[in-house]
Amino acid sequence: MAPQKLNFIIIDDSKLDCFIADKIIRNSGRAGEIHAFTSAPQALEHISTAIAPPADDKTTVLLDIQMPVMNGFDFMEAFEKLPDATKAGYNVYMLSSSINENDLNRVKNYGSIKQFLNKPLTTEALGEILQSI
Amino acid sequence: MDKIEKIKILYIDDEVNNLHGFKASFRFDYTIFIAVNVTEALAHLEQHPDIRVILSDQRMPDKTGVQFFGDIREKYPNPVRILITGYTDIESVIDAINLGNIYRYIKKPWTDTDIKTAIDQANQYYLTTSMLAIKNEELQKAYDELDKFAYSVTHDMRGPLLSILGAIDIARGIEDVADIREILSMMDKSVQKLDNFIQSIHDYYNLNRGQMKISDVRFDDLVKDLQDIYNVTGKTNRTAFDVHVDQQENFRSDEMSLRIILNNLLSNAFKYQRKGVEDKFVKLDISVSNGKSVITVQDNGIGIDEANVNKIFNMFYRATSEEMGSGFGLYNVKDAIGKLGGEITVDTRLNDGSTFKVVIPSK
Repeated sequence: MAPQKLNFIIIDDSKLDCFIADKIIRNSGRAGEIHAFTSAPQALEHISTAIAPPADDKTTVLLDIQMPVMNGFDFMEAFEKLPDATKAGYNVYMLSSSINENDLNRVKNYGSIKQFLNKPLTTEALGEILQSI
Repeated sequence: MDKIEKIKILYIDDEVNNLHGFKASFRFDYTIFIAVNVTEALAHLEQHPDIRVILSDQRMPDKTGVQFFGDIREKYPNPVRILITGYTDIESVIDAINLGNIYRYIKKPWTDTDIKTAIDQANQYYLTTSMLAIKNEELQKAYDELDKFAYSVTHDMRGPLLSILGAIDIARGIEDVADIREILSMMDKSVQKLDNFIQSIHDYYNLNRGQMKISDVRFDDLVKDLQDIYNVTGKTNRTAFDVHVDQQENFRSDEMSLRIILNNLLSNAFKYQRKGVEDKFVKLDISVSNGKSVITVQDNGIGIDEANVNKIFNMFYRATSEEMGSGFGLYNVKDAIGKLGGEITVDTRLNDGSTFKVVIPSK
């Protein structure tokens, strides 16, 4: 049986970083639908209005921390307030170039964040995520 | 000789004769406020927060001098407190000194020299303490900025580098030249972003640590360099660049700071344009008259959300995810304007454009 295709949401204000994530996901051969957002409010709008993915076919969210207007943590504050049924449809991974300990500790405060990943996203790092799902 | 403002002294005593005698003796040396009771003294302190030295008699009907000093210490911590008293009250004076409520005491009957020496020493003490407070505040600000700075370095400097690394990795596995070109142009933007950021750090350092060089400024010359740069940008982005300079008189200022201001405002005006709009424009208007210059930079770009307008001058604040701002530009602009003793105002509407108006007095 071929591995299941997975849907992705990429949230990063850098177009280049969205592009990198997109390519790496496609290269994995597991890409279903990929949505890239360069602004977090748009991504939030999309998630809160779309029909929540079923819990056995969760959408993987790759979320950058440092973004203008609404940063990754602001996004998580809003995301945590969404209905449980919606939240259950997503696996959120936080991505950052941050080597700041405060940021690393803050990630632990959000139950919905599965894991923290270093930038840039690599084929190996994505491979590990895909295995764990 | 320059007229030096006399330091302000408050003297409180229930005997009116003492007050008038005191005022007569020292009114040429200091600006003197007198109070016959606590209520009057508090009224003076309320009106003149810059009173430096308070002298109080110990024996007064409503309160002792020691009590008075103890009471006002929290609300008015800055003035230096001196007690005037006879030997009989020495116990309470010792207590008050030990509690830190008074700086020193003068024993009765006093001579003019006693008072002058005490006030001069108290003034020295006041200056040293307030200087220390100012330095502490500056130091705290520097520390706060350093913290922000260290945090930002990981994001704003590492970010573009890591993006480029990621892109290189992907490009290795791509055969199609058109795809490679697309990646290269994105990498180009990342490199430019990093370069802009480093340029801003350089501006920031110059503004904060560099010395100002005040000289005659000819705005025509200053603007010519900018026109050369931004005419090219305007052509590439199909944005009309309109410049108008009207300098009627000599203007003295720091040219580097003016460059930082103009360069950042113009670069923003060109950067934050709406995509796909036909009549994009940036207008620069400079007029110098009546000892000041008024600089206006107007665009019909994306504008700024009203809710965020008051944050745009904060360090590392970015009001939009469009384009690669460093969050440093307007902070430097405000810093530079502050150094030149000027003011900046913004008139902006989302999706409609922004007008920045800068007024700078000639030095």
